[in-house]
Amino acid sequence: MTVPTGRGTLAAPASTGEALARLHRWLVAGAAVGVLAFLCLPVLIVIPMSFSNSNSLRFPPEGFSMRWYVQVFTDERWLLAMRTSLLLAALSSTLALVLGSFAAYGITRGRFPGKQLLQSNFISPLIIPSVVIAVALYFALAKVGLLGSFAGLLLGHTLLGVPYVVLIMGVAIRSFDIRIEQVAFTLGASWFTMFRRVLVPNLLPSTAAAWIFAFVTSFDEVVITTFVAGTHETVPKRMFNDLVLQVNPSITAIATLLIAVSVGLMALAAGLVQRGRRRLGTPPVN
Amino acid sequence: MNVASRRQAAPGFWLVAPLLAVMALGFNLPLVLMLGKSVVGESGFTLQHFVEIFQVPAYLKVLFNTFRIALITAVCCVLLGYPLAYWLRRLPSRWQLLALAAVVIPFWVSILVRTYAWIVVLGNAGMVNRSLLGFGWIDSPIAFLYNELGVVIGTINVLLPFLVLPLFAAMLKIDERLLRAAETLGASNWTAFWRIFFPLSLPALAAGAILVFILTLGFFITPAILGGGRVPMVANMLDLLVNHLPNWELASTISTVLLGVTLVLFVMYLRLTTRKEEA
Repeated sequence: MTVPTGRGTLAAPASTGEALARLHRWLVAGAAVGVLAFLCLPVLIVIPMSFSNSNSLRFPPEGFSMRWYVQVFTDERWLLAMRTSLLLAALSSTLALVLGSFAAYGITRGRFPGKQLLQSNFISPLIIPSVVIAVALYFALAKVGLLGSFAGLLLGHTLLGVPYVVLIMGVAIRSFDIRIEQVAFTLGASWFTMFRRVLVPNLLPSTAAAWIFAFVTSFDEVVITTFVAGTHETVPKRMFNDLVLQVNPSITAIATLLIAVSVGLMALAAGLVQRGRRRLGTPPVN
Repeated sequence: MNVASRRQAAPGFWLVAPLLAVMALGFNLPLVLMLGKSVVGESGFTLQHFVEIFQVPAYLKVLFNTFRIALITAVCCVLLGYPLAYWLRRLPSRWQLLALAAVVIPFWVSILVRTYAWIVVLGNAGMVNRSLLGFGWIDSPIAFLYNELGVVIGTINVLLPFLVLPLFAAMLKIDERLLRAAETLGASNWTAFWRIFFPLSLPALAAGAILVFILTLGFFITPAILGGGRVPMVANMLDLLVNHLPNWELASTISTVLLGVTLVLFVMYLRLTTRKEEA
């Protein structure tokens, strides 16, 4: 809002008003950089700590070692938890992707009443606190004898992935030119052929992004898992239970692995969303 | 086109049906059963569970505590998030991208990991206490963890991006020419900010604060880890009532209250964000 004075030419401010404005700008910049540091600090501290050679959680670490990673990867329980986490995330995100993509297509292109209500219902697991969903699922699963079963756990994780798929695929389908679909129909394609040979190849980046969002959501989930998993153990569930009891440095290695998985996959998803938008032209205003 | 679409009869509803069936049985029905449990007693319909919550001091204290922590968190997020969003808006684009990445990347990391990290940073042998001791500013470590302070710090850290990102997007939409017009008319930067920019950004700020408040109400992981059992919030009480001393009716009732409050606040949030779109 100040008149640019030209860099490094006139150091003296033109007026006290401008000096005050400059002071305000520096104060805001200082506060903002401080807040950014506050946001990034925890993640930036955990990574070097996981390579520490000591038993304590001292920062900075005294020396480098891979001992905590070795400890994690030789622990049968952690390995089993990793297998459960990956299987659960892969299955629940795939289920959410298939169910959610068809539903997103139906809501976007179909003509029937109550579409808005359905959309809100599908997105609501994102807004309702997961502890409420966890309590409700606990009672319902207990009633049908599925509490502590893998199927019950899979249901919970799928529910959490659905909103992301419905939102991302909804945007992608809405911005896809409906005339291309109509051409396929005119050429004699059935709906399913059109879906498989026209829609899916064109929406591949968004589909992959939606799947990744659902995968990461499941992979990081703690609350529902803690309530309904019974004896099944996922990586975050064990990490949470260990943390409540005592802090063990091998947790730092697990934390670093979780950071790598989430940040790597989410960056990939963000890139795919960008690519999908570019491929489909201008993004719709949402 | 008409011929084609009639022949294909866009299978709209049938595509939604599988997900609807799964959600109705696996999500809506459990929620309805939970609501039912909260109002059913030994002799049919009753509100005794709701009365109980408000009569037993222990439950009331946890509810009150949760609201207080949510309020503190929301206020702190406003105070920290507003300058950050404001500063982001005026950065040159390359720096803006970098700074945005610094907001978004922690946002991608799971809540559990970010909460755990604070144990490393704020513990008695953690970075902060060791630095403060090293400078001789304090004689004994400050207890950041396993109290309300730790819970609030951890929660703010997790939820701040929920306020900053939408607020930043809303600030980008504010027309810069309005500010220049104010300046032309003789307003100082200070006046232009408080009379024009701030009121225009207020709906997004309020929406962000409500979102942070809602999300804090249901927080489970952070109070469990950084509170060390000494800062019980509603979600932790639910864990206790369901998993440890089974009292399912009371758990359903408290869960119902949490759901109700969340939905009411979310409607407020939607009002604020949609009005902003129209303006």
